[in-house]
Amino acid sequence: MKDLMVVIKLMIQEKRDVVLSVFFGAVAGLTAVALFALSGYMISKSALSPPLYIITIMTALLKLFGSAKSISRYAERYFSHRATFTILSNLRVSFYEKLEPLAPGIFGKYRSGDLLARIVGDVESLQNFFLRVFYPPIVLVIVFLSTIFFTMFYSVYVALLLLAGLLLTSFIVPALFALRQRKIDSRREDRGSLSTEVTELLHGFRDLKIYQKLDEKEKQLIQSADFYVNGQEREGVNAVFNQSVNTLAALMVSWCVLALGAFLVTDGQLDGLFLAMLVMISLNVFENAAPMAVFPAHLEDSRHAAKRLFSFVGGEFGEMKKELAGQLDGQKAFSIEMDDVTFTFPGENRLALKNIHLTIPSGSKTAIVGPSGSGKSTLLQLMLKVYEADSGKVLLDGMPMEALDQEMIWKKTNVVLQENHFFFGTIRDNLMLAKDGLTDEELATVLSNVKLDSFSLDDPVFEKGENLSGGEKQRLAMARAMLKRAPVWLLDEPTSSLDALTEKGLYDHLFEIAKNDTLILVSHRLTGLEKMDQIIVMEQGMIVESGTFDELMEKKGYFYEMKQIEKSVFM
Amino acid sequence: MDTLRKWAFEQKTMMVFLIVSSVMTGAAIVGQAHFFVTIVDRIFLKGASFGEILPFLGGLLAVMAIRTALTYLNGRTGVKMASNVKRNVRRMLLEKYTKNPVQAAIHGQSGGKVSVMMDAVDEMDSYYSKYIPQVIQTSIVPLLILAVVLYEHVYSGLIMMITAPFIPLFFIIIGIKTKAKSEEQLDKLAAFSGRFLDTLQGLTTLKLFGRAAKQRELIEQSSLDFRDATMTILKIAFISTLMLEFISTLSIGIIALEVGLRLVVFESIAFSTAFFVLVLAPEYYLSLKELGSAFHTGRGSMGAAKKVMDELEETEQPVKWGTEEAVMPSIELRNAGFQYGDGFALRKIDAVIPPNTQAAIVGRSGSGKTTLLHLIAGLFDPVEGEIMVNGRPRSNYSEKSWFDQLSYISQHPYLFSGTIAENIAVGGRDGAARAEIEEAAKKAGISSLIESLENGYDTPIGEAGRGLSGGEKQRIALARAFLKKPSVILFDEPTTGLDLKTERILQQSMNELSKTATVITVAHRLHTIKQADVILFLEKGELVAAGTHSELLESVPEYRHMVSVQQGGAVE
Repeated sequence: MKDLMVVIKLMIQEKRDVVLSVFFGAVAGLTAVALFALSGYMISKSALSPPLYIITIMTALLKLFGSAKSISRYAERYFSHRATFTILSNLRVSFYEKLEPLAPGIFGKYRSGDLLARIVGDVESLQNFFLRVFYPPIVLVIVFLSTIFFTMFYSVYVALLLLAGLLLTSFIVPALFALRQRKIDSRREDRGSLSTEVTELLHGFRDLKIYQKLDEKEKQLIQSADFYVNGQEREGVNAVFNQSVNTLAALMVSWCVLALGAFLVTDGQLDGLFLAMLVMISLNVFENAAPMAVFPAHLEDSRHAAKRLFSFVGGEFGEMKKELAGQLDGQKAFSIEMDDVTFTFPGENRLALKNIHLTIPSGSKTAIVGPSGSGKSTLLQLMLKVYEADSGKVLLDGMPMEALDQEMIWKKTNVVLQENHFFFGTIRDNLMLAKDGLTDEELATVLSNVKLDSFSLDDPVFEKGENLSGGEKQRLAMARAMLKRAPVWLLDEPTSSLDALTEKGLYDHLFEIAKNDTLILVSHRLTGLEKMDQIIVMEQGMIVESGTFDELMEKKGYFYEMKQIEKSVFM
Repeated sequence: MDTLRKWAFEQKTMMVFLIVSSVMTGAAIVGQAHFFVTIVDRIFLKGASFGEILPFLGGLLAVMAIRTALTYLNGRTGVKMASNVKRNVRRMLLEKYTKNPVQAAIHGQSGGKVSVMMDAVDEMDSYYSKYIPQVIQTSIVPLLILAVVLYEHVYSGLIMMITAPFIPLFFIIIGIKTKAKSEEQLDKLAAFSGRFLDTLQGLTTLKLFGRAAKQRELIEQSSLDFRDATMTILKIAFISTLMLEFISTLSIGIIALEVGLRLVVFESIAFSTAFFVLVLAPEYYLSLKELGSAFHTGRGSMGAAKKVMDELEETEQPVKWGTEEAVMPSIELRNAGFQYGDGFALRKIDAVIPPNTQAAIVGRSGSGKTTLLHLIAGLFDPVEGEIMVNGRPRSNYSEKSWFDQLSYISQHPYLFSGTIAENIAVGGRDGAARAEIEEAAKKAGISSLIESLENGYDTPIGEAGRGLSGGEKQRIALARAFLKKPSVILFDEPTTGLDLKTERILQQSMNELSKTATVITVAHRLHTIKQADVILFLEKGELVAAGTHSELLESVPEYRHMVSVQQGGAVE
């Protein structure tokens, strides 16, 4: 509930639309009731042969109520949906504001790739909160209370009966269903596991086939697919049942109104003229209660979504936003040192880095090499303070990491990661991220420096750069880093998808512009490392050896052997 | 869409039930109006006592209960029908996915296939749970009401008949006028909804460039744009409902006026009849209007159904198998070829691989090496030519006996969800003893790592379990082969990224395994190539030459060229 309060607060910001939705909702409900009441009254009155003008007036009134009802229903829908989407926008912004300070560290904690997609889904499902959970009950209560008040002029008993009906259909029955609802666990998990299994089947197809496990897997999959569908079916039937029970309750109340009214008429306590009117009112007013049948399901859904959402960004607040005293000097290329650093990824047992000692002097060029999974990228992430070491010291320019602000470090570094994100937009948009005030000429020059002359700045980029090849993305990422021109370079396999010739051209240019900068290059290729001041060789989270290219070749150790294998590998 | 409808009509009992229950619903609606009107009439005009109307009250109660029960049963039937279709479609898709050998060749498309299996199938739901029951109801209930009204008071019935077509007509007009517009808006919507995700996924990049704060406004702006675009579509929908309501209130108004005039001015109609007609009229128009909203939901299912159909219509090329037992085979390819769709083709491969030889498949990337390995593995049948095993077509042998002889070690071995022991045991015959598994792990050089784990061989791995590095996965795959002792090993040699230890183990193990088996390797290492008894040299899907390394160096200029380029000329 606490999480939903946050959502309600965001909702209240849209006061005007919220009030208008409730207002028009109430008007629509009331005019509908009035319309039916009037038609019931009119037909009864007609039976008593009234003067013609009465019929004319009443017909005109009917038209008026009819139009008023339709128009205010339209207005209600318009404002409530508008409010919903504005609230959605507020939700996104507020969620982003909470998530932003926690990135990128938080992404490491949740490795699963579709997590973000799920989060976005949760935000989206909260749009139902206003539309289906928050305002319909308010409208319902207004319409009912007004109707009951009106009915009191004709018969207090009927009014009381309607009140009882309101309590029954809008609160008691939904509350009972809400209790049942909690017992039914959400379909989401079944869905997740089915989707995982289908992915497994497709990825493991060859091995499943050869090890003759395909039939077994198929059977297992059919089982989880059926399990999922059966769950959905139960849920669907349940919803239909809830709705039907609510309708039945409403009809029963109307029946009671009719029976009671009939009794009161025969007893002389009520004019028979109003009997049809009262029953018509009752039949109609309960239509407003129908949405309450799905209320528990939506409430439960919103609660879950809000909880998941805020548990994701919650918790680690406060501790992140400390003012940190350490300052890295303006355009100076800082040095990096690590002293006996050990690191484990959150939620894992295996050490990712073990007893790392290294010194990277200011302005030097260092390569980090080693097999995949040996901890090369992790080393970079520690230098960027994406993660902090479990033990040992990381020093930038002699200052301990704890004293330095993440964002200041990032400002001073050009980073190219293995996976670089490109946004929906144009090449220009994506390059302009690098820094403010870049001219088109500068952008075009950099594009040609990374051998992407064939692109124009206005060329479109799809989400995640889907329309770019791996090599193009890597070159664009390098271009972005080159535009930033910070004094320290941290590059994680920036050219793994490029052919050797393009790679060499790119590096030649890089080393020229980074002459005085500190440069750290993670590479799984061992070519072109002759010029490096230092090569660090890693395996299983440890540094196995380090030195210049010649030193390592001379030593005939790990690096030498890797080099021999690389030489003998055919593509 | 025809198939969607076909699947509905296949469920005959359910359809019949829907029809019957719709007729009964119509009858219940008429009955409810009848009892209601009679009670009011008796009490109000005829001065009946309470006791006299009790039977009618009882009848009304019963009719109301029946009507709700029917609504429930109708809804339930819709849900069940949808479940049946979803269940069957998922089975059909699964059948397609598991029987289609080409699957192995098109790894990249798995995301789309998963989404068809999950989302598209789910989106078909509303067609059966909402649209079909509503269509049936709407084709029956208004007709029943109309018949009753015509019988009771022919003029009101005529007004109903004349006004009713305006509702579908109006739908059609609105539909034509707004279709283009709403489709254009839908494209925009899709783009907007992706934008937020895009920003979240790129948050790391944004922060590294110090741009994260600025994105806040962009998110707000694009969300508001999203709102405005959505509202444009919704407004169309809302206005069309508004118009429909106008049409129906107008029609009801005309009916009311007509019966009112007859009742008051001409006194040519009884109160009960007039009231009866007035109570039924809204039900009549309501049922027509509901079809409209059901139609919208139904249309959403069409696109999903198309995706599913496309997937189901993909051609299957099942591999043919016989019944004979395969033994220690020699393998011969006779003019074999394979093509996937219009895409990549492998042509005219002629080669003989005797038992216990080491064969290497060599060529540039994209030359068809892996496809050839799949073809030999029996994952595809050749489209042309034949593959002979021990001098007889492979299709003579049984699938089980063939795969029992075979191990395949790929660059990215697949780990099943299960323990390490289970993952190794998958290679062997059923019921391998723990000792055998441990022995195999030892030979594959991974036993010390496994033993260092808290749960040892019982550590769960695969999708949900602990992640293994690329080298460790390779060694698990080797352990499978050691346990299985196959007579043919197909091996896709890793290109890069392995640690030295795994490199060494791979080399030793392949030597060891090749003592008792035919080894066919997609070779990336000069060492492997030099050791091979026969090298199959591929270029653009064709076998250029076959022979030993030195033979090929001597006689095939393309081979010589490729080797010297790769090795910077340092090959002797």
